[in-house]
Amino acid sequence: MKTVTIDPITRLEGHGKVSIFLDNKGDVVNAYLQIPELRGFERFAQGRRAEDMPQITSRICGVCPVAHHFAATKALDAAFNVEPTSAAKKLRELMYCGYYIYDHTLHFYYLGGPDFVVGPDAPPEKRNVIGVIEKVGVEIGKEVIKHRAYGQKITAILGGKATHPVCGLPGGVSKGLNKEEVKDIETMVKSCVEFAKFSLKLFDDIVLQNKAYVDLILSDPYTLKTYNMGLVDKNNKVNFYDGKVRVTDQEGKETVKFEPKDYTKHVTERVEEWTYIKFPYLTKIGWNGFKDGKDSGIYRVGPLGRLNAAEGMATPLAQKEYKRFYETLGKKSVNSTLAFHWARLIELLYATERAMELIKDPEITSPKIRNPVGKPGEGVGIVEAARGTLIHHYKLDKNGLIDKANLIVATTNNSGAINMSIRDAAKGVIKKGKVDNKTLNLVEMAFRAYDPCFACATHTLPGGMPLQVDIYNHKKQLYKTLKQNL
Amino acid sequence: MKIIILGVGNLILGDDGVGIHVAHKLKQQIKDPNITIDEAQTGGMNLLDLLLGYDKAIIIDAVKTQDKKEGEVNRIPLNDFSTIHSCNPHDVSLTQAIEMAKKLGEKKIPKEIIVIGIMMKQIPCEFKENLSEKIATAVPKAVEMTLNEIKK
Repeated sequence: MKTVTIDPITRLEGHGKVSIFLDNKGDVVNAYLQIPELRGFERFAQGRRAEDMPQITSRICGVCPVAHHFAATKALDAAFNVEPTSAAKKLRELMYCGYYIYDHTLHFYYLGGPDFVVGPDAPPEKRNVIGVIEKVGVEIGKEVIKHRAYGQKITAILGGKATHPVCGLPGGVSKGLNKEEVKDIETMVKSCVEFAKFSLKLFDDIVLQNKAYVDLILSDPYTLKTYNMGLVDKNNKVNFYDGKVRVTDQEGKETVKFEPKDYTKHVTERVEEWTYIKFPYLTKIGWNGFKDGKDSGIYRVGPLGRLNAAEGMATPLAQKEYKRFYETLGKKSVNSTLAFHWARLIELLYATERAMELIKDPEITSPKIRNPVGKPGEGVGIVEAARGTLIHHYKLDKNGLIDKANLIVATTNNSGAINMSIRDAAKGVIKKGKVDNKTLNLVEMAFRAYDPCFACATHTLPGGMPLQVDIYNHKKQLYKTLKQNL
Repeated sequence: MKIIILGVGNLILGDDGVGIHVAHKLKQQIKDPNITIDEAQTGGMNLLDLLLGYDKAIIIDAVKTQDKKEGEVNRIPLNDFSTIHSCNPHDVSLTQAIEMAKKLGEKKIPKEIIVIGIMMKQIPCEFKENLSEKIATAVPKAVEMTLNEIKK
């Protein structure tokens, strides 16, 4: 078989790269995103003790340790044939809500928010959290910091450690809650509910009341009609921690709903020559290239994917917002990429309300936090990381050591869609070869909405999301390069 | 003076974890109650949380460089880092976190923040626990530099 490589792109490591190809008029023909992908996990995991996986995998990524921790723990529940106690499930879910509170707050105010609060046209040095604070005021800035910290503190109380939890064990958790801790958490959660309501109001005032922003959200370059995926509870409501995986089509109709253990029947991972990132698609629909629409198996995960894949939110205030979301942006599904931001805030509200339900549940202080494990086997654990569906799959040998491990992380689930969103945004904003930093930002906005996680750059100084945009003319000669943090 | 020494990195990403390897060595050598030695695999906001309340912070971390030699160890005051962008796409950089905290009236930011940087051309993307040969030789250099730093 002849191998076709797309010249001049090569696989690269360490930083994100967008390559944009222009035609002879200077309009965009195609665009590709390449991001670093961590490799060799399967080999790394092989032969290790299965019960170490929640700790090890929480180190994969400095961004969502809690999500990896519980995807791993749930995979171990399944692999050791044990159902966690009811109290343990509630404790895990409560901790998970804490993670959503800090993660979604961080994204809206620090990362995605600046595009709207400060404005997509603002100069780059203003388009950051400092600019947000200048716009909304120091008092609100303090609220943001406070509630992000509350989310962290809730996870720390339940998880043992703020960033790398140590509580998840097959069959339950290692630590329960005492009355004092319950009181502390309840006080924080109460404040978080109000903060989430405030954040939605802020979004309403700044974004939804501004026609230019709404037009931008609904515009073609930022529209992508893919399938949607997310975990749902038995009533098809959004659930972050548990449930079945539901997939809906471009009109919001159910395409398939499956148990986590059956994911390999429904999702296929495609490999492309030019990147280490895999592109998962729905097996039933098939791969049809980087296209949207009914015939393409590409799907989206994350806040927008989840809202589209469900039939509502399980808590009253979030459900009200959910209805308003679809009434405002049109019927289901909402296929506007920039609507991720609004969806994220609705989920923030849900996380706070759900945390309140859980902390008030008398069972939350129950000492029955672990069930004994059975014989080692095979298990799949799926949770909704803040940025989308996260799958851990382990096969254990008879001694409880890892024989095989497979992970599909949220950004991988979104990789096909992110690529198309970048291409479409580039097509929309680059005309006649005119490219500048403002254009770069409008392209970046398309993928920032997904809150992608480029594992490699988790912490390393000097920091900065290294991004390079190479623009090629119709002869595939490099025409212009825009860089940041490189 | 209260000092915090923080090894930053990812222990399961080979050379990326070098800061933590250095912190482990320092833990065996430093017994001063005014000095805290900790490790973190995180950036921006979370990193700042760990530094609050100390007079001086020493961060030991991998630094990506194009013009320095692999495995070289450099003392870099935090202010010398030019970037104001996020540390990863999902966080702000430490510099930005500090700038914001100052704006909001935070009083507990260390007066001095020094980075002991271990230079590398490429940050690894492959799961591994060991350090490469070149980076392993940087560990004793970074330990020494940190010990000198706390004497200042």
